[in-house]
Amino acid sequence: MVSSKNLQNEIDKIPFFRFLDLQIMECSDQTTTCTMPAAERIVGNPYFKNIHGGIIASFLEATASLTVFDRPVEGTPKPINLTVNYLLPAKMKPLTCRATIVRSGRRIAVVEAVAWQDDEEKPVAKGQFQFLLV
Amino acid sequence: MTDEPTYISMDQIKALWLIRSGFHGEMNAEIIEADGESVLLRMPFNSSFCVDTEKDLIHGGILTAFMDSAFGLATMLAMPGLRTIATLDLRIEYLRPAKSRADLIVFAECYRQTRHIAFNRGRVWFEGDDRNEVAMGFASFAVTRGENMLMFDREDKNGEQ
Repeated sequence: MVSSKNLQNEIDKIPFFRFLDLQIMECSDQTTTCTMPAAERIVGNPYFKNIHGGIIASFLEATASLTVFDRPVEGTPKPINLTVNYLLPAKMKPLTCRATIVRSGRRIAVVEAVAWQDDEEKPVAKGQFQFLLV
Repeated sequence: MTDEPTYISMDQIKALWLIRSGFHGEMNAEIIEADGESVLLRMPFNSSFCVDTEKDLIHGGILTAFMDSAFGLATMLAMPGLRTIATLDLRIEYLRPAKSRADLIVFAECYRQTRHIAFNRGRVWFEGDDRNEVAMGFASFAVTRGENMLMFDREDKNGEQ
């Protein structure tokens, strides 16, 4: 298992993770927690100033991928598919996401991710992601 | 005077979608075709959307975000008299690595509209390679009906200030 600091160094090399301004809060064997600040470049609706739904899916996927980041021997985990449910509009505030491995086999990992803003009990989105590890 | 409601026009909806602010400014996508049932859009290559240091592999999340925006446009064009629209869910399949510096093309259609829900499906490929889709997706939106879009109320209000 890589440390939060080493993982942060790794992801800071990835252009899209820098675009999201992804910051690792915590990582353990099964779980990774990240935050993403609100920014003008990720606004979806210019009238309501909500964070773009597609970017929320990206943030969930990015965090989910970090739970298995060191699993493939070469490269990074390959996303296979995703399902995201949107539960509340995301306002111009930081988002936090916690991703947890549901099952990680030899070839496939299933990861759940949940994102919230002020209150973890009131998530803005939840998703399930599958990754190919070979 | 007629009692016909004056819905926002297709051109107004397209102009709204083409506003270059927020993430839509970053995507910088253009409308190739939009006929009211389906849309065909192009997004130029952008190296800040990549996941590799060689900068030719697009992160899946960008394909998802591009499809989400395309579904939103398809729904707004397919449903005149929409008051509000909110994404309920997104389901995406990544069919192959998005490894290219070509522009991305998305085709999206709102294939069923009910009183409360709009159902969408779409696919993404690199320009010039439409036989090899990189992603397919579905999304449903919760919609409410009304004569005008809620966001235009806000615009009027802002205009008065």
